[in-house]
Amino acid sequence: MKSTLPILFTGLFLLVVIFNKSFGQERPIKKNWRDNLSFSMVAETDFSYEYKNNRLQKAEFILNPEWQYKFNKNIKLVGIGRWYMDATDNLEPGKPIQKSATSVLDRRSFGGDRMELELREFYLHSRIKKIKMHLRVGKQQIVWGETDGLKLLDVVNPQYFREFVLDEFEDSRIPLWSVKADFSIGNWKAQLVWVPDQTYHVLPDFSAPFFPGSLVPNPPPGVEIKFNQAKRPSNWITDSDIGLKLSAFLGGWDLTFNYFFHYEDLPVLYQQLEFPNGEGPAVVKVNPNYERQHLAGMTFNKPVGNLTLRGELAYTFDRHFSTTDKTYEDGITQSDNLQVALGLDYITGEWFFSPQVFNNYLIRKVQAYNRDRHEINTSLLVSREFLSDSFKSEILWVQNLNKGDGMLRPKLTYWLKSNLELFLSSDIFYGNEEGLFGQFQERSRISTGLVLGI
Amino acid sequence: MKTTYWFIAASLLVALFFQNGTAQNLPSAATIVQKTHDRNDGDWVSQDLTFELIDRRGKKRVNLTRSFRKDYGEEERQSIFYQSPSNVKGTSFLTYDYPENGRDDDQWLYLPALRKTRRISASNKGDYFLGTDLTYEDIKLGPKLSRYDYHYTVTGTAEVDGHKTYLIEGIPKTEKLKKELGYGKIQAWVDTDIWMIRKAEYWDVAGNHLKSLEVKDIEKIQGIWTAQNLYLINHKTRHQTWLRFTNIDYKTIVEDDTFTEEALVNGL
Repeated sequence: MKSTLPILFTGLFLLVVIFNKSFGQERPIKKNWRDNLSFSMVAETDFSYEYKNNRLQKAEFILNPEWQYKFNKNIKLVGIGRWYMDATDNLEPGKPIQKSATSVLDRRSFGGDRMELELREFYLHSRIKKIKMHLRVGKQQIVWGETDGLKLLDVVNPQYFREFVLDEFEDSRIPLWSVKADFSIGNWKAQLVWVPDQTYHVLPDFSAPFFPGSLVPNPPPGVEIKFNQAKRPSNWITDSDIGLKLSAFLGGWDLTFNYFFHYEDLPVLYQQLEFPNGEGPAVVKVNPNYERQHLAGMTFNKPVGNLTLRGELAYTFDRHFSTTDKTYEDGITQSDNLQVALGLDYITGEWFFSPQVFNNYLIRKVQAYNRDRHEINTSLLVSREFLSDSFKSEILWVQNLNKGDGMLRPKLTYWLKSNLELFLSSDIFYGNEEGLFGQFQERSRISTGLVLGI
Repeated sequence: MKTTYWFIAASLLVALFFQNGTAQNLPSAATIVQKTHDRNDGDWVSQDLTFELIDRRGKKRVNLTRSFRKDYGEEERQSIFYQSPSNVKGTSFLTYDYPENGRDDDQWLYLPALRKTRRISASNKGDYFLGTDLTYEDIKLGPKLSRYDYHYTVTGTAEVDGHKTYLIEGIPKTEKLKKELGYGKIQAWVDTDIWMIRKAEYWDVAGNHLKSLEVKDIEKIQGIWTAQNLYLINHKTRHQTWLRFTNIDYKTIVEDDTFTEEALVNGL
């Protein structure tokens, strides 16, 4: 695996260039190669103060440089990097162990405990004119779905949970080495996705502020729990993910139909009860294992008057869930899982309103850990722009109706210059401490920072 | 006294004669409106478009974009790709403008921070386009006059920057349209030779003077009359917008796949 993926993608890069040259026969846009190279960068600072604990939660300095080289108008090479520093070393204390969730090519390089370097994206994008295909090969983000805030079909790329779901998905999504081909079939458009890269969700350590404890079953009192390292799939052919998206624009409706055969990005936590010294004390050994699944779904949207109606449906076959049902010795049960989300966007003047409702339903009646059979989350985003869009205020409210927990995220953004934003925001968690959001009550924070485009 | 009456009566007759004479020489409003649509503006065009936004305190924001337009019969498709500054780079906008009266356009906005394309309702014609002083409807119409939304009257001729123009006044046909467009009245100065708007004034629904448009540097580029600079000032907010068009190319064919949701995602 270590040597196969680089060879594979180098070969694919060369193939794309040769294929494009023989089909496209386009000359470079400008004669001097330097003129075809562009560079830009976004620099960010972000300071968060955890007000319930009177401490700095993070002090981030981030540089996102981007290079783009255009060979001709049909082919470009894009590279995006990230230099990241958290002066507090709080969100991911020390140097995280990467091998259990991240493939060699996706790993970050750490400079001490506070600094890291990451190749975010590196892909060759080619437009093959003769067969009307757009081919993108390399490390990239592939985004499906219509919803904001919570993900149903946006599962092609895994994500960092260093800040739970507070980080922008653009930053938390982990780009993967993959191939994406977009082409037309009559009035329909098809997107084929092949992901031979086995990197999955990166969870922070148990001791980190945003470790999602609500997902991990607690052992009975007095029983020790011991986590073994997850066995990450490693065969780039048999363990690769494949997907297909068909889309059409019919009668004013934007429709997509999606299929994805993939490994779930969170490992299934198989449990094993052991008595190392004969009769006791007992130890629960947790053996995390990644499991494959089939996902089928669809999205739609259509403006109706001033409103835009949008929706997303995802059906996962035989999904694995931790269970409290003692008849399952390994602590795991399975059920098909239906997720349906509906949203409305309403724009009036400078106001934007976007309510969403997310339904998550287990088809089989199983006792899944820390969740009901039918879970409902709602969200409401309200924003308003002032001063000809140079000042923006927004608030996002997400609520779980089953446990009554949720989060509120107000934010003010002011553009000091065309390329310089100042923001002040807060992330407030509330409600049941066993809930997905409520568990982070102590992590509620106020943040400020600058974003500079160079 | 009698002489005075005769003088007034004669003056009125002369004035009426000249007014009728002028009216007879003026084309109808419908003709002028149609001429702004019939004008050759190329079947496609690609160009760099710079948005310069200046607030009342003189603070300036500059966004550089590359924009494309292509005609499909009477249907028109436009896409705009933001190039700089880097914190908005990748934002792109796509619109399908249908010729049928009453049919809403289809519009999509790609937001790189979400990596998602948002469908936008085109019903709110009077909403302002991405912080500029142009509404979505203004952007859609460009240098043309709406064929369906206004009752027009041609009020005369006037010179603008040394060019003869017809002065045409438009009142939205219904109260609903007034609200949708955000205008209670418009006045446009349409060049009598090239049928492009050289200047326009806008009043809000309450009848207050809202904004002024000046179309500058109209030149023939590759055989097509083209406005290279547009200046708008909003009299209520004192906010100003410059739209500067450069690297205008009517010759290179704009490919159909420039006007797809995938194109917004893939960028330039």
